[in-house]
Amino acid sequence: MNNTVKRIIVVGGGSAGWLTAGLLAAEHLSADQTGIEVILIESPDVTPIGVGEGTWPSMRSTLHAMGISETDFIRECEASFKQGTLFSNWTTGEFDRYYHPFSLPQGYQDTNLAFAWQDVRDKVSFADAVSPQSQVCARGLAPKQITTPEFAFNLNYGYHLDAGKFAGFLQRHCVEKLGVRHIRDHVVEVNEDSHGYISSLSTEANGPLAGDLFIDCTGFSSLLLGRHYGVPFISQRHVLFNDSALAVQVPYPEADSPIASCTLSTAQTAGWIWDIGLPSRRGVGHVYSSDHCSDEHAEAQLRAYIEPALGRETTEKLVLRKIAINPGYRERFWHRNCVAIGLSAGFLEPLEASALVLVELSAKMVSDQLPANREAMAVVAGRFNRKFKHHWERIIDFLKLHYILTQRRDSAYWRDNCSAASIPESLQELTSIWRYQGPWHYDATLADEMFPPASLQYVAYGMGLKTEPQQSHARSRARTRAQAGKLFQENAARTRQLLSMLPTNRELISKIKRHGLATI
Amino acid sequence: MSNHVLLNNIDHKDLRVITERSAEYGDNVMFAMTFPDEMRSVQAHYPIFFHKDGNTGEFYPVAMFGLKGQENLFLGEKGWDAAYIPLVIARQPFLIGIQQFQEDGVMKQQRVLHIDMDSPRLSYTAGEPLFLEYGGNSPYLEQVAGALEAIHQGYQSNKPFVEKLLALDLLESFTLEIELNDGSKNQLMGFYTINETRLSELNGEALADLNAQGWLQPIFMAVASQSHIRDLIERKNRELPADARA
Repeated sequence: MNNTVKRIIVVGGGSAGWLTAGLLAAEHLSADQTGIEVILIESPDVTPIGVGEGTWPSMRSTLHAMGISETDFIRECEASFKQGTLFSNWTTGEFDRYYHPFSLPQGYQDTNLAFAWQDVRDKVSFADAVSPQSQVCARGLAPKQITTPEFAFNLNYGYHLDAGKFAGFLQRHCVEKLGVRHIRDHVVEVNEDSHGYISSLSTEANGPLAGDLFIDCTGFSSLLLGRHYGVPFISQRHVLFNDSALAVQVPYPEADSPIASCTLSTAQTAGWIWDIGLPSRRGVGHVYSSDHCSDEHAEAQLRAYIEPALGRETTEKLVLRKIAINPGYRERFWHRNCVAIGLSAGFLEPLEASALVLVELSAKMVSDQLPANREAMAVVAGRFNRKFKHHWERIIDFLKLHYILTQRRDSAYWRDNCSAASIPESLQELTSIWRYQGPWHYDATLADEMFPPASLQYVAYGMGLKTEPQQSHARSRARTRAQAGKLFQENAARTRQLLSMLPTNRELISKIKRHGLATI
Repeated sequence: MSNHVLLNNIDHKDLRVITERSAEYGDNVMFAMTFPDEMRSVQAHYPIFFHKDGNTGEFYPVAMFGLKGQENLFLGEKGWDAAYIPLVIARQPFLIGIQQFQEDGVMKQQRVLHIDMDSPRLSYTAGEPLFLEYGGNSPYLEQVAGALEAIHQGYQSNKPFVEKLLALDLLESFTLEIELNDGSKNQLMGFYTINETRLSELNGEALADLNAQGWLQPIFMAVASQSHIRDLIERKNRELPADARA
């Protein structure tokens, strides 16, 4: 029996499929004779669901690893720059707002500025005190200049993009540059060998397609891991109540209307509205809990959100698309020689844009740890499953954190969200200690935690977390206070400098379309 | 500020241009654009680097005069201390304008001379006359017109030149750490040079192609020009107060 991994079959042609195929093909030189063969098979009549219009900064290194030019990506995927999220009405529901920027706080590695910020918290928000990025976002400015090379930045950034165009763009790059073989055909049967490993896929027009490793990127249908292997789905609806979404594409009032440089997330009475600015349109949607809100009411809230920009007449004509969502993830993601990546592995509401980054991390780990044969595969699969189970749990904790720090009691939705029964134990433990000591490096379990303690700080302090004054650690607190003045001043100076030199998001994207970014 | 108008021998009959070089006439610039055809002359006196246009991010070659903003180490009491002044500086206060005109029912363009009426170089008493007594161009104006034509052609050639350099991966960024004789440290950032390692690795075909397009000589001129960095630092050291020189 020959168990060497020489051919990888990716099933499904959405963003997840092409990102995975691209990362694998780039690393393992599929374009060369000696490289590992990567085949992507996609059904000719399935349209990708197109979620995930927001990325993390990790997308920059993912694109770079695949040898993609950032200029081409911005021109062809309707991409714009995202520097974080602005959360509105999450705390009191009365015009409160806070930023969760991508940049780490000033001096983050060795100084916890939260200590010193407590003294001035009534005068300045945590994000404004420790990073220029919230001010830059508030003015719709870009994270870089036209003279900044591709993927380099003044302020850390990810993207907003058109998921449909992104998949098409990745497909062309994967096929033309990276040597991925693309087959459009229906998978009619999954064939196992005597050990229960997938040996081949029977296709309608191309016969049986044999492979050594199969990546399930088939979206919600989870064709291989879910349907074939029956790996159970662990629902998280008891924690994250939202099970419905209404999505709509919103035109700009003018061709040169400002493009927001962060995602806008505005809480409603039974969910929240996302608002993502692309160069040619906004992508807006309402995620809500059908137990707490009717579709009609959700639609009325969504239209009311859009109306100020467009006027009643245009807003009423917009066509909404309803998407059912089922929060949760599979019990395992890697089973035998099958790995699920993307929606086939699980789905959570896009509150912190975790969908694409999970695809990137999963694909990167499969690629970096690509097992040479089946013996190694069992070990790698175990590691993969433990790591990603941890990631899913931490994301769920982090998403839930946004709901439980609220002071809103204006609807059953917010009250229910704060009921102890709906809060995972790990999160209860975290927030109970925060009464005495705020989030810091010890809150991270893994070195590569998806949400660093800085993210916990931005959200917790953004939502008004108060810690009781400490008697202990007098030395550290004194040392931090001494350094804090300097760090706060450095941040203020850097903020002033960036505000005066950065172009608007719209200006920079227009310039990139005209002139391109240099690679150096 | 600037106030550009079309030059003509009626309104500007008695106008003169002061050609002395000094900061008060706006010569205190750190660098100026150059182009392939000028690089042989430029490399005899100045380092040639590449810089990004702040408005477009596109690269263009520059002649360096200083190590920080508004510093021109060639300017002194006796004017500009070098035998060759790059054309982009020498042409001040003139510019090229594009004029649309109709000929046989077809819209055409022609290049015309503009002058910046707000330039401190303009005078009615001192400097070089622009027009002769009966309206013809003065030798000075002819010389300026020639320079502007060369700049226009040079500006056009920078784009394909730079594109070729980028395509061959021949540009690289660098940071120059400068320590002056008084121990002070300065950093020069935001400039690019020819990557000599890449250049030495080019095969015969690539070199022949560069040569055929006329880019090979300017590339080597830019490489050779780097010895003048030493000269810039020396000039800067000479500007230090006498007691600060080690």
